[in-house]
Amino acid sequence: METRKVFRPYVIAIGCWVLSFILALKLGSVSDVDFSVVTALRLPRAILATAVGMALAIAGASLQALFSNPLCEPYTLGISSGSALGAVIGFSLGLQWMVSGLALTAFIGAIIFMGILYFFSRRTDTGSGNLSLLLIGVMLGFLGSSMVALCLAVTDSQGLQGIMSWLLGDLSRARLAGSSLSLVSVLLLSFAVWNHRKDLDALLMGEETAVTLGVNVNHARRRIIFLSAMLIAVSVSAAGMIGFVGLVVPHFVRKMVGSLHQKMIPLCAIWGATVLVLADMAARVVARPFELPVGAVTAVIGAPFCLWVIARRRTVE
Amino acid sequence: MTKGHAQFGSAGNSYFGAYGVTYSIGSRTLLDAVSFEMDAGEILALLGPNGAGKSSLLKILAGILPIQSVGRSKIAARIRLRGDEVHQLSQGGRARAITYVGPELRVEFPITAYEGVMMGRLCHHPDLFFSFSSADKFAVQNAMERCFCWNLRDQDLHTLSGGEKQLVALARAIAQESRVLLLDEALSKMDLHHQARIGELLRELAKEGRSIILVSHDVNLAAEWSDTAVLLHQGTTRAQGPIANVMTEANFKTIYPGAKLSVGKNPFTGAPQVFFGG
Repeated sequence: METRKVFRPYVIAIGCWVLSFILALKLGSVSDVDFSVVTALRLPRAILATAVGMALAIAGASLQALFSNPLCEPYTLGISSGSALGAVIGFSLGLQWMVSGLALTAFIGAIIFMGILYFFSRRTDTGSGNLSLLLIGVMLGFLGSSMVALCLAVTDSQGLQGIMSWLLGDLSRARLAGSSLSLVSVLLLSFAVWNHRKDLDALLMGEETAVTLGVNVNHARRRIIFLSAMLIAVSVSAAGMIGFVGLVVPHFVRKMVGSLHQKMIPLCAIWGATVLVLADMAARVVARPFELPVGAVTAVIGAPFCLWVIARRRTVE
Repeated sequence: MTKGHAQFGSAGNSYFGAYGVTYSIGSRTLLDAVSFEMDAGEILALLGPNGAGKSSLLKILAGILPIQSVGRSKIAARIRLRGDEVHQLSQGGRARAITYVGPELRVEFPITAYEGVMMGRLCHHPDLFFSFSSADKFAVQNAMERCFCWNLRDQDLHTLSGGEKQLVALARAIAQESRVLLLDEALSKMDLHHQARIGELLRELAKEGRSIILVSHDVNLAAEWSDTAVLLHQGTTRAQGPIANVMTEANFKTIYPGAKLSVGKNPFTGAPQVFFGG
């Protein structure tokens, strides 16, 4: 009985992911398609959505613990746009032919933006519950996005189309080999984040308390920043900027199983995957034969949610 | 007694001691060679006006402000517990030796009080793969019962009042079973009833052999429970020794010039008390 209770959230989550995955393979802009379309187009896309959703949800959860702020996630902190800028620069340099060349420059972009964010968060009073951290993030987001647009306007022959796919997120470039590689790297990185669950738990109580609980905060912080930047880089280099998955998913997982990362990290991974597979399917199906950018779909749901969280926190205070 | 470091020029053999704690940011000196020693089972009150350096001293002892020089900020100190240099301990070893409770427990995420107190047991499990044992659970329940917050165990820390959060934070520190307990305004939001009960609890903890350092803006409360005191003023030690020798009118007149204060005795406990007027 006890074991059944322990495993129930995982079973439900995996069940939902499997269902969404099957639906994503089944539904599309055309309804009756042969097997080759499914394997060549929809399968890689669903795999990539799984990888990216996982990466964003886990990066969101670890950034929230790191900054002690439930409104943090790669997109709202502007780290995604730093990563996109890195990827676009790599793209302009022609690195997309190199295996994970874009992921490398995306990682450099993410880590630089995270460094800037961290520097400013130390300078200003961005303690828990403070919104000024988010303001810094919004500014970084603007900076990164406009530089992406500038870079692409100057160099990219595809023009606007290319800009949209980086800024609003787009899973249509998925190929089977690339998607599988993304999934494997995200799984490994997620496991590495899960290994820091004790540090993350202690950080929930604030940095000062974490020190007195026996956590080497400097070491943990460096590791978590590095791993989150890697996760963001893998997802942004493959799919552009997709916002709010990293905000909404950890929030609901915490509601379900509490804040301790032993359970929270794996469940964030599965629910993140499920949410993005469903969002991408919606993006393909809702306005068919046209395809909506998946980042716009997640933002339409996620941005009001973010406002709701802010409003609720104000009333609590 | 003026500067303590002359008295403790060489690190002594006492249970817990800090020697030559110095903290400066640029040209501003927050702590200037503050030293003190204490025995196991002793409760020491850190007294002094705002900005005297009490909180900084506790944070240095706790390791929150690490002993290092970074940019304009310079911290130097020797901290010894049972003859060991504390900074040579591992992070977990340090947490088992010394723990700190700050004035405010701010948690932004849904954590139950029980989970929060259980965090105190993390330092007893250096391995990554572990599950909390029945000994851990017993320690947590015991600590929460002693801090009168066992009934709050399933409540979300968000929903607790300031005083209740302080009870939970203290329970966490007790469950951690560290030998030295640093309390920085950790009882400031509790009601009178809980302050009195927690005072008794601190006495019991001291009897069990733990050393406790107390920072409280309420001098009379600190005086009621402490054995000894260190009086800080502008980062230097003005007086140290038994509480009755430190809490004297002469000492208070020098650090609060112009304030109308007089020192008497609590007729029931005999502890020194400060009164307005006189």
